[in-house]
Amino acid sequence: MNEFFKWEYVITLFPKVLSALPTTLFIVLFATLIGSFLGLIIAYCRIERIPIVNQISAVYVSFIRGTPILVQMFIVFYGVPSLLGVIGIDISNWNKLYFIYITYGINTSAYFSEIFRSAISSVPASQYEAAASIGLTKWQTYRRTLIPQAGKIAFPNLGVSIVNLLQNTSLAFSLGVLDIMGKVQTLGALYYRVLEGYFIAAIIFIVLSISLEKLFNMLEKRMHAPKRSRQVTMQPLALERAEAAMTVQKSIK
Amino acid sequence: MIEIKDISKSFGKNAILKGMNVTIEKGEVVVILGPSGSGKSTFLRCINFLERADAGEISIGQTKVEFKKAKSKEILAVRRKTAMVFQQYDLFLHKSAIENVVEGLIIARKEPKEEAYKKGLELLSKVGLKDKRDAYPHQLSGGQQQRVGIARALALNPEVILFDEPTSALDPELVGETLDVIKHVAQTGVTMIIVTHEMSFAYEIADRVIFMEDGVIVEQGSPEELFEQTKEERTKQFLARFSR
Repeated sequence: MNEFFKWEYVITLFPKVLSALPTTLFIVLFATLIGSFLGLIIAYCRIERIPIVNQISAVYVSFIRGTPILVQMFIVFYGVPSLLGVIGIDISNWNKLYFIYITYGINTSAYFSEIFRSAISSVPASQYEAAASIGLTKWQTYRRTLIPQAGKIAFPNLGVSIVNLLQNTSLAFSLGVLDIMGKVQTLGALYYRVLEGYFIAAIIFIVLSISLEKLFNMLEKRMHAPKRSRQVTMQPLALERAEAAMTVQKSIK
Repeated sequence: MIEIKDISKSFGKNAILKGMNVTIEKGEVVVILGPSGSGKSTFLRCINFLERADAGEISIGQTKVEFKKAKSKEILAVRRKTAMVFQQYDLFLHKSAIENVVEGLIIARKEPKEEAYKKGLELLSKVGLKDKRDAYPHQLSGGQQQRVGIARALALNPEVILFDEPTSALDPELVGETLDVIKHVAQTGVTMIIVTHEMSFAYEIADRVIFMEDGVIVEQGSPEELFEQTKEERTKQFLARFSR
């Protein structure tokens, strides 16, 4: 055992592997941002059944969900630049990380779009009608009525999806990006110590996943807690002023 | 004045409305009676475009729109002159009573928040729910929810309020308080179209009663005319089931 695995290497290598943590976290962050943005647009197009875009979105979503992310990564990294090269746009000298952000963003958008779509569809149709009946535009209806209610429904699934995304980032090293897994590989080649590296990576991923899970659980609980503490915005202020005005009026009468 | 001409609507091959004409004067309270499936609710829902009618036109005040051709701007214009009270209340579930009432004022009408909340509180006290202003729909009884729904409709100060069986989903015990609020509102001169099965309420509140079946108006007139001097055989049959 001592031959294969030495604790002292775990200690030496740990800070080095940990230095790649920001890279991994940034992939998760950008993928989540891009995924949320695209995912919402796709979900909207599918719910409203916008002609052509709806069908394209459906194919897009099943393609992304039906192919391994490794394949998607190679398409984005090798395929797209050579395609763009044909029409005279050169992006081959871009930072590799941009391609990674784009790939993971696109990948996440497909999963998120389905989460958003099912969440928005599960808000009762009567809520939409109520909003329409008081004269809200479609955009206002989504912003004020559908998305706030759908958000609560979507939230736990988004958490699961993001934890998944975190594990998936470990494939980014196949393009030579120095995220946590990439770092483990390079250090392995450098020190001839592979097992310790993977052990460290496993620990970091487990800790990250559990923290993410806990974070989402906490936020979810807060979302469903009695709402009074949440509305510390304009409303109560306006409400109090209105009440004060009314009491003054009454006392004058 | 509201004028609805030749409104018709089918779901597939099933014709629900077959060319009805209804004119409603300002301040008039019109009650629509009729058996289930006669198209009463569809009529109301077509007026504010929750359903898209196949033919006909509507004019409310200065706005005149053909149902079939209406663009989203015109639909919005009609919706902003109408308000609806739903059978299942349909309050915004994630908003408190007062937030439900002011939503249309602040978001659709762009009124200043303070004004809107002032108006909202007045309306909540009008329907007897001032102390429930911070309660969420799930914390309110059906009758209370429906009264918030009425306050929400009133807040918009619409040309007409459409009541779609406002008490049908309520406990018998809670029907009274809701009807009282509607009566109270009717006395303030708000134009209303009410679909209901509450006959004595209809008799008491209506300026005009319309009896419809199979998508057409069978008979209409003042409550006295319709209930006591009924002309059509079909209307008599329908009313006979309710009279005790």
